[in-house]
Amino acid sequence: MTQVPVLLDKNFGAGTTAADRAEADRRRDEWNAARTSEQSRSFWSATFRRFLSNRVGVVAAVIVLLLVLGAIFAPWITSADPLLGKPTERLQNLGASGHLLGTDEQGRDMLARVLYGGRLSLLAGFVPTLGAALIGTTIGVTAGILRGVVGTALMRTMDMLYAFPAILLAIAVGASLGPGLTNTIIAVTIVFIPPVARVAESATRRVVVQEFVEAARLSGAGRLRVARSQVLPNVLNDVIVYASSLVGVAMIIAASLSFLGLGSAPPAPEWGYMLNSLRGMVSVAPLVAIVPGFFIFLTSVAFNLASDALREAMDSRL
Amino acid sequence: MLRVAITRIGMAVPILFGVSIIVFLLMNVLPGSAEAGLVSDDMSAAERQAIRDELGLNDPMPLRYLHWLGDALQGDLGYSAQRRRDVSDLLIQAWSNTAVLAIVSAVFGISIGLWLGYLAGTRRGSLIDRVTGVLSLSGLSIPSFFLAIILLAVFAGGLRILPSGGATLDQGLWMAIRSLVLPVLSGSLITMAITARVTRASIVDVAGSDFVETLRAKGLSEFEVRRHILRNAISPVLTTSGVQIGALLGGSVLVETIFRWPGMGLLVFTAISARDLLVVQGATLVIAVTFVLVNLVVDLLQAWIDPRVRGAVS
Repeated sequence: MTQVPVLLDKNFGAGTTAADRAEADRRRDEWNAARTSEQSRSFWSATFRRFLSNRVGVVAAVIVLLLVLGAIFAPWITSADPLLGKPTERLQNLGASGHLLGTDEQGRDMLARVLYGGRLSLLAGFVPTLGAALIGTTIGVTAGILRGVVGTALMRTMDMLYAFPAILLAIAVGASLGPGLTNTIIAVTIVFIPPVARVAESATRRVVVQEFVEAARLSGAGRLRVARSQVLPNVLNDVIVYASSLVGVAMIIAASLSFLGLGSAPPAPEWGYMLNSLRGMVSVAPLVAIVPGFFIFLTSVAFNLASDALREAMDSRL
Repeated sequence: MLRVAITRIGMAVPILFGVSIIVFLLMNVLPGSAEAGLVSDDMSAAERQAIRDELGLNDPMPLRYLHWLGDALQGDLGYSAQRRRDVSDLLIQAWSNTAVLAIVSAVFGISIGLWLGYLAGTRRGSLIDRVTGVLSLSGLSIPSFFLAIILLAVFAGGLRILPSGGATLDQGLWMAIRSLVLPVLSGSLITMAITARVTRASIVDVAGSDFVETLRAKGLSEFEVRRHILRNAISPVLTTSGVQIGALLGGSVLVETIFRWPGMGLLVFTAISARDLLVVQGATLVIAVTFVLVNLVVDLLQAWIDPRVRGAVS
């Protein structure tokens, strides 16, 4: 660190004493921070503007937002109890008085169940994606920077997890951990870590050979600082775009697990579980039976479209 | 080519080892999961201990793994106390049924997806392009079990033109073929969707490259040009095909459960509800190993077709 930053002496006044060096570090960090925050502000606002000009993407984002708000404010939207039904009002059709989306096989209000169920289903879509993005990026960036034995070991371990079909791995993890929403979330997170790590690793490999990273290293920044201030911001774009396409998949896998009896414990409403319990009613009340599946489908379409729009909005800069 | 083949096979071996370690760990991470189903609540501590001793569960973990791997390599995946059968017997029986379903679904989904993706990629912005776009988006977003329920309600419940469950060959070939239709449709829509997407993107990518310009400039017919494009665009499609077959094998758990198709998926489903973890473990191992082998074959096929891939390895 002492012999390298000669080049930048003029810019930051790095001298030979420890105090001088610390001062130089501080000024360099300040300069870097100012530059990157300015850059990223304009990048994000440009991305946001481009996203807004994509009509399909905006509609999809609004649908996602409405679903999330509906789940959060469920008790304010409907006064019906999602768990308690009237046996006399079983399997009412859509639009029945007082039951906009009808009632299920136990006479419970479907609108309430869909709204409250959205809490579990959306949670099962977001949390694993966030968790896997966090863990996978850490693994991928570490492997991409360190390479060598550690990097190879990390990525080969990911390859081994990758050797399982996604849904099968989730089912196997779910089966060994037992039923429950937390276990479903853990299972889906484990499934998503290897692909995120791959995306992060290949992005890191692409970034570390670029000149600005070399410049940062020459200016005396340590490995950790280079990773944090130079590599990570550039890797994150790729990860964000990729992760946004995973939310819908996460929801479908989680719904599949609860369809198989590995999800949240009944009678808690979760869309996959609701679909399964209404499966037998499909010939009696087809429209009601389709409601939970429709919401899984709608949410997933909306996430996929929003993710495509986000990719386009971010790509046009690269 | 031989060198490529040897390299690729050599790369698959450590992956297979890793797969076996993960499958082993999955069923042994939680205390008590390995003997689940054999132990009941009214047993005394001594009885439980005897069962654990008998199963070798008190040995250190690496030793147990080696024992398990040795047995598995000899085709012994344990004994299912619930079913009173060897796990490998159960799996062999179910295996061919799942293979039939997965192969038919893969062939159907990949060929339709390839065709749609080709049409969409060569006629960008046309009606067929937009229809393919909507179809592949829906295919990606619809859970296979939801599609299965809808198809069941319409074709088996409402119209009564197709059977709702799996049929075996003893009920006649025609019946067996008819019983394949709904499971194949619900399982392969996502295969079709992804194949169509990848094919379209790849064709659009290749169609914009310089050599296509050259082909046109030297006066080849549009048909000839498209043949060249397709040949150059096929590589990414092949890669995803391997992944798709794996997804079909894994997704069989859902599709087979709904259609009562007597394959590995239904076996896994019933084993999950019975906490018969040895069956889940065995089925997971067999499906994962198949998946690795399928990908190996796809890799080799790709190297055989595409000299660029061959060059990248050797």
